[in-house]
Amino acid sequence: MSAETPDGQKTTGNGFVRDTWIVLKRWLMKTVRNPFVVTSSLLNPLVFLVLFTEVFGGIMEGTISQSLGTEASYITYLVPAIVIQTAMIAATTSGIGQVEDIESGMFEKLLVSPLHRGAVFLGKSLSEVIRIVVQVTIILVLGYVLLTLDTGASLNEYVKTGVFGAFGIVLVAILFSIWFTAISNVVALLTRDQESTIIAVNVLQFPMLFLSSAFLPIEVLPGWVRTVATLNPITYGVDAARALMFGRDVMTVIEVTSFGGVWNTLVPALGILAVLDFALGAVAIYFLHGASSSAVQ
Amino acid sequence: MNEYSFTKYMSCHFDRTDMSEANAIDAQHVELTYADGTEAVTDLTLTIPNGELFGFLGANGAGKTTTIKVLTTLLEPTGGTVTVNSYDVADEPRAVRESIGYMAQETSVDLELTARENIQFACEIYGVPADERTARIDDLLDLVDLADVAGKPAKEFSGGMKKRLDAATALVHEPPIVFLDEPTTGLDPKARNRLWDYFEHINERGTTIFLTTQYLEEADQLCDRIGVLRNGEIVASGSPAELKDRVGGAVLDIEIADPEETLERAHRVATETDVFDGTPIDRTETGLSIRSTAARQQGTELLAALMDAGITVTGFNIRDPTLDDVFLTITDGNDVEVNGVDAEATATTEATR
Repeated sequence: MSAETPDGQKTTGNGFVRDTWIVLKRWLMKTVRNPFVVTSSLLNPLVFLVLFTEVFGGIMEGTISQSLGTEASYITYLVPAIVIQTAMIAATTSGIGQVEDIESGMFEKLLVSPLHRGAVFLGKSLSEVIRIVVQVTIILVLGYVLLTLDTGASLNEYVKTGVFGAFGIVLVAILFSIWFTAISNVVALLTRDQESTIIAVNVLQFPMLFLSSAFLPIEVLPGWVRTVATLNPITYGVDAARALMFGRDVMTVIEVTSFGGVWNTLVPALGILAVLDFALGAVAIYFLHGASSSAVQ
Repeated sequence: MNEYSFTKYMSCHFDRTDMSEANAIDAQHVELTYADGTEAVTDLTLTIPNGELFGFLGANGAGKTTTIKVLTTLLEPTGGTVTVNSYDVADEPRAVRESIGYMAQETSVDLELTARENIQFACEIYGVPADERTARIDDLLDLVDLADVAGKPAKEFSGGMKKRLDAATALVHEPPIVFLDEPTTGLDPKARNRLWDYFEHINERGTTIFLTTQYLEEADQLCDRIGVLRNGEIVASGSPAELKDRVGGAVLDIEIADPEETLERAHRVATETDVFDGTPIDRTETGLSIRSTAARQQGTELLAALMDAGITVTGFNIRDPTLDDVFLTITDGNDVEVNGVDAEATATTEATR
């Protein structure tokens, strides 16, 4: 997906950055034009956040406090999981948007235009990053509102690592979303069908959330679930966000002690996610490149 | 429609110095074999001079869309060379993309954006300078008759309106060459005519148009030249009139009374009279059928001969060949042989002319 303008070729087209901005702007306009999609995709995470904390909050706190070795509210414990869930759903829609463009012929229209191929994909991905930032911020704020209503906690009691930690959680969500965005795009390009894409990624979403450290500490889960959770990328996303939330090492699937405190979780978790992003990102680029050079049959 | 501004656009197109000699499209022995081994285009040679309205016909599966995808850089040819606007599609795809407009078979507009936003987006993609954009968008909206609904999202539009919007977005950069893949399929006659007025208009201003259509009547009326594709090769090309001549002139159908009894006798009389110099005479369910360039001039002689032999003629009809005849004859795989001239041979010479 490199730009294929050889040196010296006569061209009056835009630069790469400008092309990326043009594509990004279109996707942002579409997102704003369709507020229903943005809000409805937040619905599941919000229902999870409110119901789980209200229903299970009371019985969970003992288990969590014991696991973390500190007093903790289930709200604070759950928010990182909901953040990751939100990033996951946003990543899902990436593939859906891609299929929509292929089905409507817009994808082909872009490929016939002088837009840089790389900009076509980068612009779209950036619009998804922006969406994740907005949605994750909403979740973080709502979590805080729930917690203050419940216990009257201050902001520093909510995110122990403070404002920088909160920014960090947003970055974790972005890093986490990349590999799943790649998967949803590959599924989209293979099926070329919106409904199949939605079903395929939804089928993945729920088991993956439950078979991870998202809702409960790993130690209290049955042995086989623990094994699956160790292999599940969601565990690493949730643990990284949770470490920032609590300001301490929360990861138990891999014990790392050489970095100190939060970093004992962040370094291995983010490392694993980065490797996954690169690997699946490469697969997705391979498929997108195939789709753009042989066009749409 | 703003005549002044449109002329102004067109004047800035042809800034390439070699434009006067160069063909708009020059394809030599193009091959395209898909990864799965399907040979969609086998040996396609085609030159289209600047300013021509070229019609590209062929049955479904003949390779029309594949050819358009090669010419518009969506597919890289696996053999042969193609230059579009003097740029090589394989070496300079971006320069080709800048100099062409493409309207795909399916309507490609963003349904969530308004008509104005769709055209605006196209302006940005093709790098139309910011200070010219507003005027150009307004002109195009006028031209495709969507000015009244410019602020409405495209999803509220009818099929014809979406097509017209699509056409406008394909032309924002005033490309010297426009590819139209079945642009009017599925439109009602009124919408079709409106779109055609628009395409004829830009063609009159010098834009080369490469068109595929299912409506042969449309191709007949509008195209300067037509190429017929079969199995990935151009098997006939020429002006609509030349192609129709090549099919072998008009068809004379003669209906006779009581064909079961008299058809053989009628056929014998007609063959012996030989009004059309050995042209084969076909038997039909109701009588005889002859295709000849002399059908109109000498048809009555044959009728007289039949009546002299006591055969009752109950009806007759002389029909000029249509492009449908050309199309059916060629795409059925028959060699079009008239007066000893093989159409395929003629086509090759003409296509490379």
